[in-house]
Amino acid sequence: MNHTQTSIKLRTGNQMIAEGAVKAGCRFFAGYPITPASGIYKSMIELLQRKGDLAISSPDEISALAYCVGASLRGYKAMTATSGPGWALMIETVQYALMTETPLVIAMVQRLGPSTGGATQGAQGDVLLTEFCTSGGYTIPVLCPSTPLECYELTVLAFSWAELLRTPVVILTDKEVGMTTESVNYEQLQLLHAAERISHLQKPTNGRDKAKTYEFSRLSDIPKFAPVGGMLKVTATGSAHNKSGELKKNDAETLEVLHHLEEKIKRRKDGLAIVKRDVEPEANTLLISYGITARAMEEAIHIARKQGRKVSGLHLLTLFPVPEKQILNSLGQVKRVVIAEENLSGQYRSVISHLMKTQEVVGINKIGSMITPQEILKEVL
Amino acid sequence: MTTTMTTPATFMVENCAMPFCKGCGHSHVLRKLNDALTKLQIPPSKVNLVTDIGCIGLADAMFETPHTVHTTHGRSTAFATGIELADSVLSDSKLKTIVLIGDGGAMIGLLHLVNAALLNADVTVLLCNNFLFGMTGGQHSAFSPLEFITPTTPDGNIIPPIDMCRVMMDARAEYVARKLATDKDLGEVIAEAIQHPGFAMVEIVELCTEHATGKNELTGNEIRNVIEEQGQEFGILSSATSRAEFGVLYADKNPRDQAYASEKGDDGIIPQYQSTLKQQVGIVIAGSAGERVQSAAKKLCEAAVVSNLHCTQKNDNPVTQGSGFSLSEVIISPNEIFYTGIETPDAVIVVSEDGMNELHEKHLLDRLTKSTVLILDSSLMKPHTEANIIEYPFRKEFGGAKAAMKAIEFYVKQSEVFPVEALAPVT
Ligand code: SF4
Ligand SMILES: [Mg+2]
Repeated sequence: MNHTQTSIKLRTGNQMIAEGAVKAGCRFFAGYPITPASGIYKSMIELLQRKGDLAISSPDEISALAYCVGASLRGYKAMTATSGPGWALMIETVQYALMTETPLVIAMVQRLGPSTGGATQGAQGDVLLTEFCTSGGYTIPVLCPSTPLECYELTVLAFSWAELLRTPVVILTDKEVGMTTESVNYEQLQLLHAAERISHLQKPTNGRDKAKTYEFSRLSDIPKFAPVGGMLKVTATGSAHNKSGELKKNDAETLEVLHHLEEKIKRRKDGLAIVKRDVEPEANTLLISYGITARAMEEAIHIARKQGRKVSGLHLLTLFPVPEKQILNSLGQVKRVVIAEENLSGQYRSVISHLMKTQEVVGINKIGSMITPQEILKEVL
Repeated sequence: MTTTMTTPATFMVENCAMPFCKGCGHSHVLRKLNDALTKLQIPPSKVNLVTDIGCIGLADAMFETPHTVHTTHGRSTAFATGIELADSVLSDSKLKTIVLIGDGGAMIGLLHLVNAALLNADVTVLLCNNFLFGMTGGQHSAFSPLEFITPTTPDGNIIPPIDMCRVMMDARAEYVARKLATDKDLGEVIAEAIQHPGFAMVEIVELCTEHATGKNELTGNEIRNVIEEQGQEFGILSSATSRAEFGVLYADKNPRDQAYASEKGDDGIIPQYQSTLKQQVGIVIAGSAGERVQSAAKKLCEAAVVSNLHCTQKNDNPVTQGSGFSLSEVIISPNEIFYTGIETPDAVIVVSEDGMNELHEKHLLDRLTKSTVLILDSSLMKPHTEANIIEYPFRKEFGGAKAAMKAIEFYVKQSEVFPVEALAPVT
């Protein structure tokens, strides 16, 4: 290892989410303070205000997200950050963003729940609350970084996905990832470029051009975006609507729109999956984890191999849409799948265990402190 | 054929049939809004109607040319505020956003109205007050007069109505008016409100002909009296322009400088020394809040990076950050650090009583082994432990504020985790 002449910075995951957001072209942030997510708010105030872009406080989390939706409708990349108690308040507006196909990024830094829970304690207990928060059960893409570097890179990606898919995207971390300061080698940052939403051309027209706000031909197509305030008339609504954005009840086109909202994500699910695979062909055990616990898993794998034991690992960097193909491809000959996550009941395990048809599935679950490498090692065959 | 430069004759759908009940005040309001927009000659692409939930939320479909954004119950003003904040700071500030909200929605979204007023965002709120929730069956609202009879106040309302105009003025709104939907000059007042730079609110008192009449013996002519009897005034109650709009003030404080790279002026560290450290070490530093424990730990991390090592740092303190213990956990390693917790520390540094108490509380001292170095301030009681204890009077010699840093320096010298000179540029 030789760092000579490289620039290292001490950064938290929260700070790196903020830097990633600015890199991705985020120009609007509305925030409400909450431990352990406040670091993102503070960094966005610093980074955006000095550029003349907009970072602003809101009087509550509902307003924070509504301000972001408004800014995105106006045509600008927007983000907010919160934790479980704030997320609970935002769910109404997350659904609104999904229904109105408004690009949006929300950083969700988990802490111990339920209710106000433990403000300064980490947890991975909001996985299901984050994903299954919509009436109708629509897929919200969820990225799950475990290091400051991943926080940066996955945030850039979150913006690309939000913009290209015209949908809210969540970056799900926790107190340990968000608030731990680490040495970050900036040379290792991948040169990422965030995508822009695909927009209608804004040329002066005679009168108001009539483009349908939610026009698509195939169900999975993404409607071209037009900003509120642009030349094309926008008809946005959170109520069931046809492609023109007109409020309708159960007509064929409206149902088509409701199918489209899910289909545009589902069709692309294999491309919306990122995992780190560390597979040994003769291993009997496959470890699966994500976020902060994936780092304990990686250390456990390291220790096991030093002891001459064979073990495979699958580190999930995206949780939803479920990376089914990548999980199935990692199973190989293993007899046992061990899923480690810092929550009471094995939330993600309940989502993926049906994929393991012949393997024994074991959960490592805990609340109150991080799962340790030793706790994971114990379950390796 | 029209162009954006000519004045549109109407913003509404031609010959549109209003979806409201016969005599409903909403029909008046929408026609007067259309009159106002036509009078102001704003290009339709710069007009944005944001509607709330309820009967008034059916307005979108009545308008042919402006943008329309139909939102959730009570939240319309918040979405409108977001649109206008972005428009004023990130765009050309030409958009005019008008919120159409009922009395039910206004109370749900009271916070959003108050904050839009405080910000002085360029949003015009038309609050259509018909004393009740029309769409869901006429239930009473926070605007219902005393003794008002509704399905939810069958014996008459006993809760006094809110005076939203007064609330808005207390929230520093500068354009505030209360009008009747049937007032001849309503169109002019709406036009004035839209033109007002910054936040404006017009409460329009009207009749829900479906639910308000009948049991209440209420007619269009009597609602003026009802309002006045409850001590609320009609007319333009405020039309000052003493405060600049949010976007103007913000741009003043934060001039545009897109060239400002996010990393500019940043604190990158260039490794200068080599460490002979072979294995990861975990160090716990415990002391009192306000005695620079966590910033000393940060300096340890910086010195580790200067010595070409990886590091992590976790801080802990009571919820009230200025009192009690202050604690840092630092890992330094020649290799990438995966797990960021410290199971068995290699070194523990304790420089105050608060710190010692917290380590007892966490049962951390029970986990120490013979290979742990426990560096203690001499003022502290020695705990029962297998660890190798080293005492030094850090507090006495250097004072509380420097004790943690001096103890870290002592540890680095003693353990040789990296060259002690690496601390020099940072101490
Ligand atoms: S129910 Fe009342 S508010 Fe609704 S349309 Fe009818 S009269 Fe108007
Ligand atoms: Mg009403």
